[in-house]
Amino acid sequence: MMQIIIQGLLLSGLYALIAMGFMLIFSIGRTLNLAYGAYIMVGGYIYFWLSQQIGMPKVVGFLGAVVVGAIMGLLKHRLIVKPLKGDPVAVEISTLILAVIMQSAVVLLFGDASKILLPIIPGVVTISGAQVTYNILAATVMSWVIILALYAFIRGTHTGRAMQAVSMDQKGAAISGVDPDRINMITWAISGGLGAAGGVFFASYTQLSPTMWVAPVIISVAIVIVGGIGSIIGTLIVAHIIGFLEIIVVAVWAPELRGVFTMLLIIGVLIMRPQGLFGREEH
Amino acid sequence: MGIIDIDNLSAFYGKAQALSNVSISVEPGETIAIVGANGAGKSTLLDCIMGLVKTTGTIRLNGEDVTGLKSSQMVKRGIGYAPERFNLFPHMTVRDNLLVGAYTAREDIEKNMAAVHRLFPRLEEREGQETSTQSGGERQMVSLGRALMTSPRILLVDEPTIGLAPKVCNEIAEVLRKLSAELGLTVIVTEQNANFALSLASRLYVLEGGHVTATGTAEELAKDDQLAKSYFGA
Repeated sequence: MMQIIIQGLLLSGLYALIAMGFMLIFSIGRTLNLAYGAYIMVGGYIYFWLSQQIGMPKVVGFLGAVVVGAIMGLLKHRLIVKPLKGDPVAVEISTLILAVIMQSAVVLLFGDASKILLPIIPGVVTISGAQVTYNILAATVMSWVIILALYAFIRGTHTGRAMQAVSMDQKGAAISGVDPDRINMITWAISGGLGAAGGVFFASYTQLSPTMWVAPVIISVAIVIVGGIGSIIGTLIVAHIIGFLEIIVVAVWAPELRGVFTMLLIIGVLIMRPQGLFGREEH
Repeated sequence: MGIIDIDNLSAFYGKAQALSNVSISVEPGETIAIVGANGAGKSTLLDCIMGLVKTTGTIRLNGEDVTGLKSSQMVKRGIGYAPERFNLFPHMTVRDNLLVGAYTAREDIEKNMAAVHRLFPRLEEREGQETSTQSGGERQMVSLGRALMTSPRILLVDEPTIGLAPKVCNEIAEVLRKLSAELGLTVIVTEQNANFALSLASRLYVLEGGHVTATGTAEELAKDDQLAKSYFGA
């Protein structure tokens, strides 16, 4: 029982971090960014390259991953999202194609085989009889730190408030002196950075592989659809529902069923409450 | 040269022409009204001034050509806008809505917030309320308040009385008068209700089908029987 609670909390924290960047783009840029997983994958590989292949300090590896993720987000906004303005389907298809291209690039640069990341912090601790690696504990703590910082940024700064404003009423934001284009660009950069940060931890939780971008996208879509658009708290809560659901299914049933209930939850929520459990009704 | 000079402004929605060769000039500190029926182009005209709609023709602010600038640039140059549908941020509090208005005027937040609370004490009482749960009158106050938070010199107000109870209309009119008299703001207000417009403005422009068809002071326009019948209920 304790094992389930601890593992559930750890996995959920990681899922919340991964979903946050996806939720931002969905709420503010109104785009289902299917290439979001590419940030996660690239984040993981950049960290691996810098810290394990070149031998730089882990902090440099982590920061490098975040910076590259943010630049990818910026470029995607500039080169794809902005020129395709007003056509969400075209944006979604192009971002998906981009993710596949990124996958090929990773294969070309790092090869097909999966890679194991060394633990970010080595060691194991026993909490109430449950064995927990420092690595996953650190990932969860970092997730929470990043999520709380994001929350404070969005609630308490002019740029954060402008991001909320653009997500609710573009014209209203524009006539208040906010440039929605600029805010969108900033959001894409933050989303890329968050995705890459999540990728480092996700890779250390599982492993690095050129197809590792798929699962986090599905998890993010699930969390945002179930949680509802535009809610950090909703994203956090649903990340925990889905995280615990997976851990419980694996523990008491079978590992093969891991994602099945998540999918059923998505379909159920889409039918019963299309705006999501914590989302607001769109006007 | 006025504080704002609009010359030969035309605007299109697709192939439909919404404004044709509109020319308007406003002196500093003046309150003018644009009067016209639904669909005459009043909101489009204000959207054009704000840089939200593509136009031909020129718009000058204190002589500077500002045609084609983005809305955020217009806000920085001192234009505040309270649009007809308010365009508030429904799931943010009154206070946060006002603070978004301060995006380009951060050093004036305290001063402007105090001024807004003096004009609309209700907004201070309800500063923690989400605007999605407010009445039309309160939303109009938030909308005007948000525009004032931008530190404007010119205020554009689109049909401030539409759908509001007469008592609330009087409150709004009182505030608009104060803004002009006490703060020296230049106000451009659009109205279907010409009597309301007359109570505020020194000069009126009549807009019909995207054209300015008449202009003058209240007394001058009241002499025109046709206009008097259409707009002033005479």
